[in-house]
Amino acid sequence: MVKIVSLFKKNLFFGFLIGIVFYFLSQSAVHYTSTDKFCESCHVHPHAKQSWIKSSHFDNKSGIAVHCVECHLPPRGVRYLTEKARLGFQDIYGKVFKDIDKINWDEKSRLEHAVSFTYKESCMRCHQNLFPLGLSKKGEDAHLYYTDKADKLRCLNCHLHVGHYSEEAQKEFQVIKKNKAAHFYTQPAQVVKFEDFTEFVPQSGVSFDMVAIPGGTFNMGSPEKEAFHKADESPVHEVQVKSFWMGKAEVSWDEYETFYVQTATEGRTDTRMVLTNVDAITGPTPAYGNPDQGWGRGKRPAITMTFYAANVYCKWLSKITGKKYRLPTEAEWEYACRAGTDGPYFFNGDPKKYTKNRLWNKVFGADTTTINSFVIYANNSHGRTQPFSAVHPNPFGLYNMLGNVREFCSDWYDAAAYAQYPAVPQSGLEHVVRGGSFKSDAADIRCATRDFTRHDAWMMTDPQMPKSLWWYSDCDDVGFRVVCEFDGK
Amino acid sequence: MKQQETNFSRRHFIGTMAAAGTIMVACSGKSAEKVKWYNQPRIAPDGPELKAGLIGCGGRGTGAAVQFLSAGPKVKITALADVFDDRLQSCRARILKEKNNEVADENCFIGFDAYEKLIDSGVDVVLIATPPHFRPIHFAAAVAAKKHVFMEKPVAVDPVGARSIMATAKKAEALGLTVVTGTQRRHQREYIATFKQVKSGAIGDIAGINVYWNGGQLWYRTRQRGWSDMEWAIRDWVNWCWLSGDHIVEQHVHNLDVANWFTGSHPVKALGFGARQRRVTGDQYDMFSVDFVYPDGFHMHSMCRQINGCTNNVSEFIMGTKGSTNCRNTIFERDGKTQVWKYGFEKDKDGNEIKDKSPYYQEHIDFVTAIRTNNPINEAENTAISTMTAIMGRISAYTGKAVTWEEMMNSDLRLGPKEYRMGALNMQQIIPVPGTEKRPKKA
Repeated sequence: MVKIVSLFKKNLFFGFLIGIVFYFLSQSAVHYTSTDKFCESCHVHPHAKQSWIKSSHFDNKSGIAVHCVECHLPPRGVRYLTEKARLGFQDIYGKVFKDIDKINWDEKSRLEHAVSFTYKESCMRCHQNLFPLGLSKKGEDAHLYYTDKADKLRCLNCHLHVGHYSEEAQKEFQVIKKNKAAHFYTQPAQVVKFEDFTEFVPQSGVSFDMVAIPGGTFNMGSPEKEAFHKADESPVHEVQVKSFWMGKAEVSWDEYETFYVQTATEGRTDTRMVLTNVDAITGPTPAYGNPDQGWGRGKRPAITMTFYAANVYCKWLSKITGKKYRLPTEAEWEYACRAGTDGPYFFNGDPKKYTKNRLWNKVFGADTTTINSFVIYANNSHGRTQPFSAVHPNPFGLYNMLGNVREFCSDWYDAAAYAQYPAVPQSGLEHVVRGGSFKSDAADIRCATRDFTRHDAWMMTDPQMPKSLWWYSDCDDVGFRVVCEFDGK
Repeated sequence: MKQQETNFSRRHFIGTMAAAGTIMVACSGKSAEKVKWYNQPRIAPDGPELKAGLIGCGGRGTGAAVQFLSAGPKVKITALADVFDDRLQSCRARILKEKNNEVADENCFIGFDAYEKLIDSGVDVVLIATPPHFRPIHFAAAVAAKKHVFMEKPVAVDPVGARSIMATAKKAEALGLTVVTGTQRRHQREYIATFKQVKSGAIGDIAGINVYWNGGQLWYRTRQRGWSDMEWAIRDWVNWCWLSGDHIVEQHVHNLDVANWFTGSHPVKALGFGARQRRVTGDQYDMFSVDFVYPDGFHMHSMCRQINGCTNNVSEFIMGTKGSTNCRNTIFERDGKTQVWKYGFEKDKDGNEIKDKSPYYQEHIDFVTAIRTNNPINEAENTAISTMTAIMGRISAYTGKAVTWEEMMNSDLRLGPKEYRMGALNMQQIIPVPGTEKRPKKA
């Protein structure tokens, strides 16, 4: 009996000892795997360390360095270990199965990705007082806005690059005030016939091509059997479209900057200004943040302008060229996109074969040669817009109808619009957006895919009071293409 | 004096209402997660000398000074600031006469920058009772100097000012400063007791609210020889929108604040009427009638008027699903007449009622008590929200259009001149006309 008790006691003692050893080992394992050195052993992508050292979380007046896990894990507590396990598993998977050189780190550091491995609670653990005495007026407004919308916003919405310095992000959006072009156009293009022409923007060196789209009849929408068909693409209905010209490519930064330079207003625009006031066009105010996302401008499509701004651009262009420029209607857009074809795309191929949403394609890959040569989309964009000429045009000669950036149409969006045809929605909350973008999967860039603006969500970060009329703060993949009306003569 | 200070979760708090004589302060206007709770003494506890400076020595400022000096032992007013020497001197004389409080010559400051000198003069607390237009900059300066603040309602006249107060309120909260804001109903024992009844379910869910400040004409000053535009406007401030916010903001904010207090929220939308019929000077209306909508869907009808010879009523009334209340001291059946509960005064040993302290005095007692017991109260954000509520109603009445809270929080409307000096101003009495984009030129 005594023996049993002593054995039990012994076992208890050893169990206890093992427990303690295990506890300390695991504690030191948690500790060891949370050091900067350990993080760096896998996160060997260029600039991770250098950009951190240049950032305000290392290089600051007080000399305090904030270490990897202090931002990239939640504070010690309930979620700490589970998040550590989740991210650790991801990292190991990436290290073993992925080619680190091929990962687009720039894309990973953008807001939509950064939120999944940076924690609000961790920001708040150190930054406990959002209203320190020294806070500026601008900061007060922004933090008051944040307090009001704390459930929808993260610290990162405004403070994305504080942990890893980004030179691109520091750049202010500055347009080239004087165009350096050798030749300044004094006159817009004179158009006498219904054929392709090149428009010249007066008082600038900028020109762009317009493609004559002969009118005709086509079937709008997609049949239910089409892969990834959605309800708002039904029913297929026949639509007649008059002749018009359409921009060969989406409006580029070169073109949009000209508009900005010629019309921009210092400070804020009077919010009571109405669109109908065409005689005195007041252009965009300076943007909140950098609208080109640091990707460069030139021939890349202009992005992040609001639907309102795109419309003012058309008014301005009409005024200085004496033509009738506007956004395309949804029907004009789809007619021009299909260019006489009636499949899911204007080129050959099956969305099911191209999409990355299917496990089969993810694991075994798919032959995307055809789609890659016509569309700039998630698979080939490297996470940003590209100059339009990187791909081939559609049969009408239009570039990137399905990719690069999604495009505004003039119609109000209504999911049931096709059922009510020939009536078109006369009012609504959001406008139609068509085509795909550099972020889209092949499933979402079919000719018939419909989408719409999301005004409030796309304005979520902008803490200015009032919010900008001109720039979306949270949408970087929508732009637009102009059409020019043909008077029929 | 023993102080009771406990943090409760809101639900727990509502479930365990204690007796009257306590003051509740929600730390944050919108999400009152934590609620602090204090005894309301009849006199503030003793402590080291508390030196106060008064900015704005008019009628209300002088009244506030006297009330502050009555709050407890060892409180003093050591500095005065105003733009007019005559107002400052009359205030100085009155507190000397009534409270034997002397203010030295070198601590009397005159001018638009007098407030800075006063804050710098070694005071511990600042009392602010200037016209509401100046509140945001004075409050920001006081908090930047880490002073406790008593300031009068309303706390702003425009959305830019109201938001400035909200931000400064947060800064003050982070610094642990006490800020009391002249919404004295929140310090009135009978109101607090009724509030507790409502919160513990005495009237069920709130179904509708009426608030009134229908009273007579307020004072005005006609222009005198030698007065500049600015001097006249400030001496006549309750009649100029940029200085007072109009009377829906300046006066009626009290009742709107009670509604926001009892509902624990604020309206999200307003549609109002208003007009000017009898006012003599200035550019304000003399009546408003506004329909406010709260986030839970119920409405509040707010009325305010400053015209003599009409039926007067200054009160609040809340209809609930189970009963109703006047917010002040009684719970009724839904008929609004049959009493269910009525506030009773405290009684002494012999069973005689002890009358409550006047809330104008009580709020200063609570102010000094909070400072001396290091239990900060911060009412600035709540009062900024109620001020914004009133501004929303005013803008709706002026324009004739529905106005949302979201619009207010995004509005860049700022009233008044950019610089302050005694000189010319745009003194056109342009009365807003609903349905017109801009104010019309005076006929």
